[in-house]
Parts: sequence; C-alpha cells; structure tokens
Amino acid sequence: MTDRSRPAAAPRDLDRAIARVLMAGTYVSVVLLAVGVVLMLLAGISPLDAAPSLDPATILADIATLQPAGFLWLGLIAVIATPTVRVVASLLGYGLARDWTMVAVSVGILAVVVASVMLAVGLEG
Amino acid sequence: MDVALIMMAGGVAAGAFGSLLGLGGGILIVPLLTLGFDLPLREAVGVSLVSVIATSGASAGVYLQRHVANLRLGMTLELFTALGALAGALIAFAIPDQALAFLFSGLLIYVGLTMLRGLRADRGEEAATLDEDPPLDDTADGALARLSGPGYRIRRFWPGVGGSVFAGVVSALLGVGGGIVKVPVMHLVMGVPLRVASATSNLMIGVTASASAIIYLLRGGIDPYVAGPTVIGVFVGATVGSRSAHRIDVRILRVLFVVVIFYTAWQMLSRALG
Repeated sequence: MTDRSRPAAAPRDLDRAIARVLMAGTYVSVVLLAVGVVLMLLAGISPLDAAPSLDPATILADIATLQPAGFLWLGLIAVIATPTVRVVASLLGYGLARDWTMVAVSVGILAVVVASVMLAVGLEG
Repeated sequence: MDVALIMMAGGVAAGAFGSLLGLGGGILIVPLLTLGFDLPLREAVGVSLVSVIATSGASAGVYLQRHVANLRLGMTLELFTALGALAGALIAFAIPDQALAFLFSGLLIYVGLTMLRGLRADRGEEAATLDEDPPLDDTADGALARLSGPGYRIRRFWPGVGGSVFAGVVSALLGVGGGIVKVPVMHLVMGVPLRVASATSNLMIGVTASASAIIYLLRGGIDPYVAGPTVIGVFVGATVGSRSAHRIDVRILRVLFVVVIFYTAWQMLSRALG
C-alpha cells in the first residue's frame, strides 16, 4: 500500500511547477509571435508573400533591427520547444523524487525529440 | 482588408468554434488555410500543429494546477504518441498532397458522424455512454496502479499504447491534437474518467505535436508569415471560446458545425480527386 501511495503523492507540487513552465513558455511564445504580427502589419507584409527561410544565425540580428521574421521565427521555436522544456522540468522533478520509472519515461521522450531533430536535419542534408 | 488580418480573424473563428465544441481547433485550421488561402496541405498541417501546441499549452497548465490532468499517465503515453508522430511526419513528407487531402476528408467525415450521434444523444434518442465513468477495477497490478489516479484504476495498458501510437500518427499527418483518438482510448479502453481523459489528452498535445512540428519546421514546412497571424488568431479565439463556453448554448453551434464539416469534407474530397 505504501508502495502505491508514495509515488502518487510526490507529483502534486510537480504538477504546479510543470504548469508554471507550460504557461510561461506559452505566453512568451505568444508575445513574440504577436510582436512579429504587428511588425508584419506595419511593414505591409502579406502572409502570401515569400517568407525568408529559417536561419538561426540571422534571428537575433532581425530582432535587433525589428524585422518581423526574427520575432516570428523565435516565437515559433519557443512554441515548439516549450513542451520539451516541460519534459526536462519533469525529468528533474521526478529525479528529485527518485521516481526512476518516470525518469526513464522522460529520457525516452527526450530521445524521441532528439531523433526528430536528427531525422529532420538528416533528411534536409 | 489586409490578408494577415483576414487570416487572423479566420484563426479566431477556428479557435473559438473548436474550443466551444471541445474539438481543439486543429480540425478547422487546415481547411481554413487550404480551402480559404490556397495553401498546400502539408504547409497548412505544419501551421496547424504549431497552433494546437500554443493553444493547448495554456489550458494544459490550468488542468495541471487543478490536478485534473494525470501527468504520470500522460507522460507515459506521450512517449508513444511522440513515436507515432515522428513516423507520421515522415509519412507526410513521403506521400502526395492528394493522399493527405483524402485522409483529411476521412477524418472530417468521421468527426461529422460523431457530432451527428452527439446531436441525437442531446435529444435523448441515444444514451450518452461516453459520459458514464467506468467502474473501478481493483485487479490492476502495481505498475498500473502507479499510473492510476484518485477513484480510478488503469487497465489494458498495451492496447492503450497501441492507440497512442495511432493518435500520434493521425496528429502528425493531419495537424490535429489527436484528442479524437486519445480521449476514447483512455476513457473506453483504459478506464480513465472522461474529465481526466480529456485533460490528460490536452496535456499530451504539446509533446506529441512538437515531435512532428520539429520535422515540419526544419524541413521548411512552416511559413512564418502564415503561422504568425494564424497562431495568434487561434490562441485568442480558443481563450475567448473556453471562457464563454458555459454561457453559450452549443446545440445550435453543433448543428452549424455538422453542416460546415460535411461541406468541408466534400471540398477536401474534390481536392483529393484533383
């Protein structure tokens, strides 16, 4: 019985911590995208115009010069990265609670994410 | 009027409609972008995936704070939805646009028929069995008990895993959150109460959709000028929709939705057939 109740009690605080990570990531992403959209409107750019391709090297320079593409790319990366950050947070939380099954599950999810990146880069190259 | 504003307004409508009807919104974004703005289907799917990740992020946070979503179960299953999504994204880049359009029209018809059944249930002609929570199953062993929550025990883990892989493939191919597969799998197969199943499914959208969105993003399948206005629109629409859901009679909305969805299915099918 203790075996059942111990792991179930641990994640209550973890739930709240993960919720904060998720919400913060989402709001940061949405703000970045919103700034990008406002700059798009101000510059008279249409969604149907040809868009610049993703180049991590130019994102920060684009942001510094208030180019919409910089904010939009960073916002999109933030949206897609938020769930992974949540998994890293879970990994730490479950590690602290010594819940090794869930640590293994978290590592497995991160491995799938890494495989996605490698496959995408591999296919592109 | 500016195309970006029209696209954003379309996103608001898709997000509001989706959240009022408990469908997410993914199912409406792809038709909006392909039929409304003539985007290639695969590009629309990429944008839709980003929209559903952003929309689910905030609501999943709320469900976690209220301890409705089961984090342990969600994470265990999302290992498999993510694997399915990885495979689905690779399939999406390997098959022609017409095949995707054909699959999408199949999904629309399935959702339309499910909604029609729901309408009949509203009128009391059919028992809404989905709303009844399954009885407690005390035979669950230790590992399954750890995935369980207050008042329910998980059963049939492996069929649930199979369903999760399938949900991931559907999500990555068609740009939806996949709740349409995950909720019935968790509720009817694994014995999770409906409320917990839909909150946990919502939590799982992020990891599931991001496993495939990474591939769409890095392979140039997401246009930032389309994604920006759409994601903001859907996010605003879904937020407004979920806050006003209890004040609106959704029955009329459902009838309207069934009409829209069958019309969209027909349009998608015409696209599939060239």
